Amino acid sequence: MKPATFEYHAPTSAEEAVGLLADLDDAKALAGGQSLVPMLALRLAVFENLVDLRRVDELRGIETRDGSVWIGAGTTQATIGRSESIGLNVPLLARATPLIGHLQIRSRGTIGGSIAHADASAEYPAVALALDVELDALSPRGRRTIPAAEFFTGTWSTELEEDELLTGITFPVWQGRAGFAVEEFARRHGDFAMAGACVAVGVGADGRIDRCAISLFGLGPCARRATEVETELIGTSPADSDADEIGRTAMAGLDSVPTDLHGSASYRKRVGAAMVARAWRRALQEAVGD
Amino acid sequence: MTDVDIQVRVNGIARRASVPPRLILADFLRVNCGLTGTHLGCEHGVCGACSVLLDGEAVRACLIFAVQADGAEITTVEGLAEPDGELSVVQAAFRDHHGLQCGFCTPGFVVSVTAFLEENPKPTDDEIRDALSGNLCRCTGYQGIINAVRAAAEALAESGGSASRDATAKETE
Amino acid sequence: MSGSQQATDTDRYAGRRVKRVEDARLLTGRGTFVDDVVRPGMLHVNFVRSPIARARITGIDISEALALDGVYAVLTAADINPYVHEQWFSLEGRHAPDTPRPPLAEGEVRHVGDPVAMIIAQDRYVAEDAAELVIVDYDPLPPVVDYATAFDSSELVHEAYPGNLVGQIGGRPMADLAPTFDNAPHVVSETYHQQAYCAMPMETRGIVTEWSPSDGTMTIWTATQSPHEVRGFCARLLAIPEHSVRVVMRDTGGGFGQKVLPLREDMCLMIAATKVPAPLKWIEDRQEHLLAAGQARHEHGEARMAFDDDGRILAATIDHVQDAGAYPSPNPVGSGIAVGLIFPGPYRIPEGTFNSRFAFSNTSGRVAYRGPWQFESVARECLLDVAARQIGIDPVELRRKNMLRRDELPTANCNGMPYSDITPLETFEQALEILDYDAFRREQEQARAAGRYIGVGTCTYVEPTAGASALYGTEGATIRVEPSGKVNVYVAGGSCGNSLETTVIQLTADALGVDIADVSSIQGDTAVTPFGGGTGGSRSGPMTAGAVNQTATELRGRILALAAHLLGGVPVDEVEFTRGVASVKGSPEKQVTLAEIADTAYFKSGSLPAELSVGLEVSGRFRAQHLMLWANATHVCTCEVDIVTGEVKLLRYIVSEDCGPMINPNVVEGQIFGGTVQGIGGALYEELAYDDAGNPVTTTFMDYLLPTAAEVPTIELGHVETPSIGPGGYKGVGEGGAIGAPPAVINAVADALAPFGVRISRLPLTPATIVNLLEEAAQRGAAGAAAAAGAARTAVAG
Repeated sequence: MKPATFEYHAPTSAEEAVGLLADLDDAKALAGGQSLVPMLALRLAVFENLVDLRRVDELRGIETRDGSVWIGAGTTQATIGRSESIGLNVPLLARATPLIGHLQIRSRGTIGGSIAHADASAEYPAVALALDVELDALSPRGRRTIPAAEFFTGTWSTELEEDELLTGITFPVWQGRAGFAVEEFARRHGDFAMAGACVAVGVGADGRIDRCAISLFGLGPCARRATEVETELIGTSPADSDADEIGRTAMAGLDSVPTDLHGSASYRKRVGAAMVARAWRRALQEAVGD
Repeated sequence: MTDVDIQVRVNGIARRASVPPRLILADFLRVNCGLTGTHLGCEHGVCGACSVLLDGEAVRACLIFAVQADGAEITTVEGLAEPDGELSVVQAAFRDHHGLQCGFCTPGFVVSVTAFLEENPKPTDDEIRDALSGNLCRCTGYQGIINAVRAAAEALAESGGSASRDATAKETE
Repeated sequence: MSGSQQATDTDRYAGRRVKRVEDARLLTGRGTFVDDVVRPGMLHVNFVRSPIARARITGIDISEALALDGVYAVLTAADINPYVHEQWFSLEGRHAPDTPRPPLAEGEVRHVGDPVAMIIAQDRYVAEDAAELVIVDYDPLPPVVDYATAFDSSELVHEAYPGNLVGQIGGRPMADLAPTFDNAPHVVSETYHQQAYCAMPMETRGIVTEWSPSDGTMTIWTATQSPHEVRGFCARLLAIPEHSVRVVMRDTGGGFGQKVLPLREDMCLMIAATKVPAPLKWIEDRQEHLLAAGQARHEHGEARMAFDDDGRILAATIDHVQDAGAYPSPNPVGSGIAVGLIFPGPYRIPEGTFNSRFAFSNTSGRVAYRGPWQFESVARECLLDVAARQIGIDPVELRRKNMLRRDELPTANCNGMPYSDITPLETFEQALEILDYDAFRREQEQARAAGRYIGVGTCTYVEPTAGASALYGTEGATIRVEPSGKVNVYVAGGSCGNSLETTVIQLTADALGVDIADVSSIQGDTAVTPFGGGTGGSRSGPMTAGAVNQTATELRGRILALAAHLLGGVPVDEVEFTRGVASVKGSPEKQVTLAEIADTAYFKSGSLPAELSVGLEVSGRFRAQHLMLWANATHVCTCEVDIVTGEVKLLRYIVSEDCGPMINPNVVEGQIFGGTVQGIGGALYEELAYDDAGNPVTTTFMDYLLPTAAEVPTIELGHVETPSIGPGGYKGVGEGGAIGAPPAVINAVADALAPFGVRISRLPLTPATIVNLLEEAAQRGAAGAAAAAGAARTAVAG
């Protein structure tokens, strides 16, 4: 199980990196490599050129800005897990981090790599989607910012062009009474989730739900939002919410739910409904419990 | 495929090499450096047998190309004991609690636990199980390993020592 | 400690938690596994494997691969297979019926992963590049994927086997028992289907072969449980003298049965080494392992039991079918028969019989795996729980009523297996007491009332260990006191984590009467150790103890004779020898050490009377006195099932076992823990699965799910100690955990879900499977309710 040959490039700036991605044939960016390298080892993926981002310092860092937190795409999951600022300001991200693989994976895996890889079962894309993050992308044509809602386009596919690099992610900091929870179900601890849900919920001064986001993972080609349920919940009283019903509604009409050895689409939806319900209860309890 | 020059420190010894980009770090350690304690059990990042410390963090050496380790400080299982052969606290705890049988997965466990106890010196049982879940063992049923980690944490707490001999190089981003 | 003291039981090393001598090297990365072996000029092998379950090979083009830089050779069946001289396993014997086993696929590929060509290159990277350049033309044929329907298939895996039947074996005709079943107040039956899963050692297979053409000798380093099996196999394969083959294994990274026998790739390396002027290394990667290292446990069987009004078992039968895959090793019939023979288990069953059939399929070949007959316990113990529910009696009470008691032993079960020295009821009661069964039942009632579903399951089994088959019937040891008085013990070895070095050192120190620090053991090198069967069949403990005791007793006699001479010519029976120091009884002040005795034996032979032997070395060979030594255990498991997700969380896990006296409790417990977790894996997580076209769908560790530390509960142990009739009273303990765990887990899940009317018959119990069972039971319940309602309406209308 050895990778095929490739040429190796280790640029020192993001601009140089996207230049290489644009100029080289069959080139792929290499971040933490925790998803890419197994694919290369199994020869499920073969590239002529790998552009390693490890020397691009500008891609790493955590900065608290006005009402938001910026995280460099190359920041490792372990660094995020250790960050007090993220624990305080982006609790959903902090809570999702220990669910990613295992500690040896988190040492190397990066937030940008996870989001750009866009695995349907991964936690970070669902967190990004739930929190409506803004994704900074760089290409030889310049910089642009992509809203999370437009970023994930299908199975392992995103809005990024082949020569475009995810450079940073801006997470809004939710103010006021809010609660956050992520729940997932995997065959074993640390495995990719068969079904999972992120919930972020805010309660206004009138005691009613004024913000609400529910995202799902493992339940489609890529992470997705349960927008219809969210809309119904806005303006309702937390006491009236029926978590199980919310879970069921979030699953209603979901198409392209995967089926494999470990479970059918209908099984995943059953579990997905439970994960939504459990996450909803926990998040809501946190939001109203203050 | 153009070979790439790299320079790394492995168990405190500087090594220069010109390696093909596709050479996996585990193969670099095993073949180029002759450090065969790092084992390959799956080569796709699940079993954890190849775990090594890279700048103080436990990583899977099958998911890193040697070229990516350029400039890094690497500690393998061979680098954990004292130079005179005295076992590290973690290694000794594994011996004392029957934390190994065939020994194939053992280097990965010992290295991972060393990093884990650096970061979390007083883990709960659940945290221990969580930390161990990235390493597969087929012999022990994990019972002796869990006991060993608990014992190592207690021994470190009593001695005020550090799990790894050289815990200087933790990445601080 | 005074050298003059007589050794007492507390002085013995056996029975103590002696620290393992293997650990220092293994903990510091200084073990020597086969992949650590490097030979000058060594080349690396990779196999081109079939991507199709069954196809005719219509052409192989190796030219592009051969042209690749760094490729030395590309060999196909025509280059390898004609050089097979003889191939059979010492385990089975020359004349045992065997199944086909060509090194490389010839004419037809018979499973995905079937080796078709062999690349020899400068390193594994290039060898994998070259494999992609070999062009094989396949003409696909309809595969026989499902072994369960293979007997009726018009397609044949091997032309010479009509109906895909490998073989069939059984007891008296099932029809004989019809009257008993027809007249019994209660008859319970269920057909259980077990999935394929496997040993999955953390170290894959691997072999290095080095041929020396000038003197016709072969040296092999390999991951094996039995170096002597590999040596004999290679000698016969190549038609070279047995002593021209040397097999070396230092550390093997787990075996569990998978590494008992050399397989097809090993044959390729043995033959190819004689064709190329370089040593060859093949290290299987995990994907190859999942494709071609074999499968086990893939079987189903209809289990039936008849009971009287009081719940006493009247008869038990099993009609069993096992998947042999395309190329089983060994022929599965010989060990598969044990499923039927042991099906009655530890119960008083007046009548019974069995039938076992073995089917070829176009999947990976069946290999040995830790307790290869384990299905007997699955079928029996799960059926007993079904029976308890059906008859309306507590499953523990049902077992108490039927389990063999000590005063009934020795006895033979209804299929003729001779039981002795077992304590099933004692382990059963001990395990239940550790749990506090009654308290659990009360807790279960409260939990159910609160909408939580917890359950308890048990499994009690008896297990034949140290079976005295032809290869396994003897074991040798050579013990040498070196001139300095230090001791080396040579045994065949084959340790794969079962701590044989430490065990042998403990046994030798005790049997000779020396300090354990003065003993070292040399194992796993056929050039220097006595012949031996290796690790397999839970034999290492008892058989090695027999060999060491017999040999050490003779050597100790020689030590005592020399000591008597050196102590002034006292009678030998007045000499005490403890911890390496000899003295005269009653005169502890006069001593002579083993170092002095050895010095005399080697260097002062001229000073010795002629009747005393010089040197201090003895070889001995122990012959098993019994066909098998019985061990037994009870597993008790509690679990909670999440009825929404189907997740099973194990709450408590208890094993009470009787393996006789323990040589090293750490080692015994380690074997039980490890086996148990493999059994938990088999019940809940692991499956080597194929799709309908015969494509494996679990080809990585992302799909083949081994339990991790996070899935495994704390395992609580109880011991009952009944000596066996074998050496030292020891019994084997390597396999049992893997036998007892699956039924205990399955029964716990079934018990948790009993309120829903769930019946379990297919494994593994994945969360999705459990949800399906719940949904099916709900439908049955609804249908049943509808039928009842319909019947009620009819009754009213009538």
